[in-house]
Amino acid sequence: MAAEKKEKIILDVAYQPQVRTNRDTRSLMLDVIIALIPTLAVTIWQYGFHPLLVVLVSMASACFFEWGYRKLMKKDCRVGDLSALVTGMLLAMTLPTSVPVWLPVIGSFFAIVVVKQLYGGIGKNFLNPALAGRAFLLASYAGIMGRWQLPNAMKGIDAVSSATPLSYMYGDSALPAWLNMKSMFLGTIPGCIGELSALALLIGGIYLIARKVISWRIPVSFVGSVALVTLICGKAGYGHFEWMVDNVLAGGLLLGAFFMATDYVTSPVTLNGQLLFGCGCGLLTVLIRYFGGFPEGVSYAILIMNLCTWAIDKAFRRYPFGATKEDIAADKAERKAARGAAK
Amino acid sequence: MAFKFKGGVHPDYMKNPECPETVIPAPDQVVIPMAQHIGAPCKPLVQVGDIVKMGQKIGENPAPVSAPVHASVSGKVVAIEPRPHPLGDMIMAVVIENDHLDTPCNDLAPLTEEEMNDSETILARIREAGVVGLGGAMFPTAFKIRGGIGKVDKVIINGAECEPYLNGDHLTMLNYPEELLKGVELVRKASCVDKIYMGIEKNKQDAIDLLNGIIAKNNYPIEIVPENVKYPQGAEKMQVKAVTDREVKPGGLPAGVGANVVSTRTAYAIYQACYEGKPVIERIVTVGGSAMKGPVNALTRVGTPFGYLAEQCGGFVKTPRKIVLGGPMMGLCATSFEAPTVKGTAGVLYFTEEEDKMVPNPTCIRCGKCITVCPMNLEPVFMYMYYTKHDYDNMAKYHVTDCFECGSCSYNCPARMPLTHAFKTAKLMFQARAAKEKAKAEAAAAAAAAKEANN
Repeated sequence: MAAEKKEKIILDVAYQPQVRTNRDTRSLMLDVIIALIPTLAVTIWQYGFHPLLVVLVSMASACFFEWGYRKLMKKDCRVGDLSALVTGMLLAMTLPTSVPVWLPVIGSFFAIVVVKQLYGGIGKNFLNPALAGRAFLLASYAGIMGRWQLPNAMKGIDAVSSATPLSYMYGDSALPAWLNMKSMFLGTIPGCIGELSALALLIGGIYLIARKVISWRIPVSFVGSVALVTLICGKAGYGHFEWMVDNVLAGGLLLGAFFMATDYVTSPVTLNGQLLFGCGCGLLTVLIRYFGGFPEGVSYAILIMNLCTWAIDKAFRRYPFGATKEDIAADKAERKAARGAAK
Repeated sequence: MAFKFKGGVHPDYMKNPECPETVIPAPDQVVIPMAQHIGAPCKPLVQVGDIVKMGQKIGENPAPVSAPVHASVSGKVVAIEPRPHPLGDMIMAVVIENDHLDTPCNDLAPLTEEEMNDSETILARIREAGVVGLGGAMFPTAFKIRGGIGKVDKVIINGAECEPYLNGDHLTMLNYPEELLKGVELVRKASCVDKIYMGIEKNKQDAIDLLNGIIAKNNYPIEIVPENVKYPQGAEKMQVKAVTDREVKPGGLPAGVGANVVSTRTAYAIYQACYEGKPVIERIVTVGGSAMKGPVNALTRVGTPFGYLAEQCGGFVKTPRKIVLGGPMMGLCATSFEAPTVKGTAGVLYFTEEEDKMVPNPTCIRCGKCITVCPMNLEPVFMYMYYTKHDYDNMAKYHVTDCFECGSCSYNCPARMPLTHAFKTAKLMFQARAAKEKAKAEAAAAAAAAKEANN
């Protein structure tokens, strides 16, 4: 009886390992969504439920385009891995709080279909889809993308037209009194949906690092390099330290450093490469802020570094366990000779 | 104090050392494959119809890299034919009908005290008793130790047992500490070194304390190195690094940096061979997995079919989908319930869909988690990319051949990419290509020689 029963069992065969970690793509993406909730909460606190609607429309439309494109192209459905949901959410995070609800639909179409799916879907895009979507919207709807609201906490103060802290800092006028370190830390400032509160972003970022979704390398090197350069190259009228802290807290730096630059697909996988990537992002951010036409530089800095990812990964090859100094020297000499031959 | 290596993972350990050693009655029929080691397979020494005793040598090959096999029960040889081997192929095996008498064979007499001080005698006995690497690699131990004499100054007994589920080494330490340490001493004498090290993971603290007590009492020149709990701590190269801080060169063997690694159960088998005259005919097999009622640490005769073993360990509660041999991280799958345990089978895990986390069409998301866990400092994400393109040059550049298939990258992959599988295949592709090129070169040389002769 037992023998008969056994005959019917067809055994699977697989190479090792036979066990896998519980963490899959879906759970990593879910963690990113969870990490953004504090930020979203601050935005709702300061701007009511309109931003939440923008975020939800953005997420829904991103999922719809992901599903629709793959259905149309007769490819397998990948909505379940939640990556489109994260893209939609991050895209909405980079939009001003006052945008009309149809704007993120256009943005997520560009992000999901043009940037992500046309290059082969998850894991194949070379630009961060959410940031590319933002760049597209910024170029196409500059007016809407530059319209800022006053936060609830500041209603009634004497401000004619509100502007973000960065536009004050890099404009002609000095920061008004109600835009100080405390307001930037807590998020009672005008700005994009996801860049208001440095505190909420830090909580989210630390959650991601603690859950091992991202490593510390990119955020630390990104924020660190911005802090270092702004500390050295201050601005007249600001104290060195004050200027540095304002630069770190204002704008999308923390959102970019924790959530955008750490995007798996478009950042280097090599460990030293990640440090270089973060430093590159930081330097470009400062460069754009100091000399560029926009006060904000984070998104373009990340997009530019996205394009360098492949080259960075190639440059930081690792040597296997047990390779001696002589082996490494020999390999380097060989590569140098190969480069010489190529010339 | 153990040295650290980079990378590694922390799988769910699922260990049950409190589960006592359970003796599994020998089956009515044992199937003893003639290849239970790396190297030349044995040739049967018996004929169909012969009566054999328990422990009698039934297969042998004079080649240096080989180990004889012995009957694990007494009884009558009923067949000598190819039978399913645990790893898939049909391999020549001797099938013995058990008479349940366990008539012992006295061909191997226990060694005397003097003999046990002579390296050559010990090595000859290790070979005669068919001792191979019982951690799973099944490399003939006598050959390994002999090759290291003079070159090796650090001999390490591998007691890390970093694979999930497995308890055999831990139980051996707890249940037979005196015997085990005598075995360790024999390894030391056979290797002609003054001191020997035992690397044990800290999750076996009870065993470390017990062994340390006995070492102090008897003044053995044995040092126990407590190691961090991390997979693959028990991999040969990691073990050498942990104990000696020497790094085995890529493509090299531990002997290249003056170290040799012998597993705990092997040391115990050497004790049995020398003190009791008992060849390797039984071992602890950890039986577990979600298809089983509970884990069993089964003392099992070599040649016990997997189906019978499962029945004796309480039977299935769910339909098994996979039979995994050894630990789940490096263990391969058996293809048949009829296949028997062999000397190197440290565990038999009956897995259901529960353990299986495969997804259709896995897609890499370039998270780089494979890179952070690779103990060999490799970059699996790129190795896999070049593997899918069959780009041999770049695969070589990214050191695919240095992968020792520990499975950490696949384990940690959130996208469930078949990384280890790919590298195993890639290594075979390299071997095949090398063989092809060699054949081509030989053919060209032969053609040139023929042309020369014609002229």
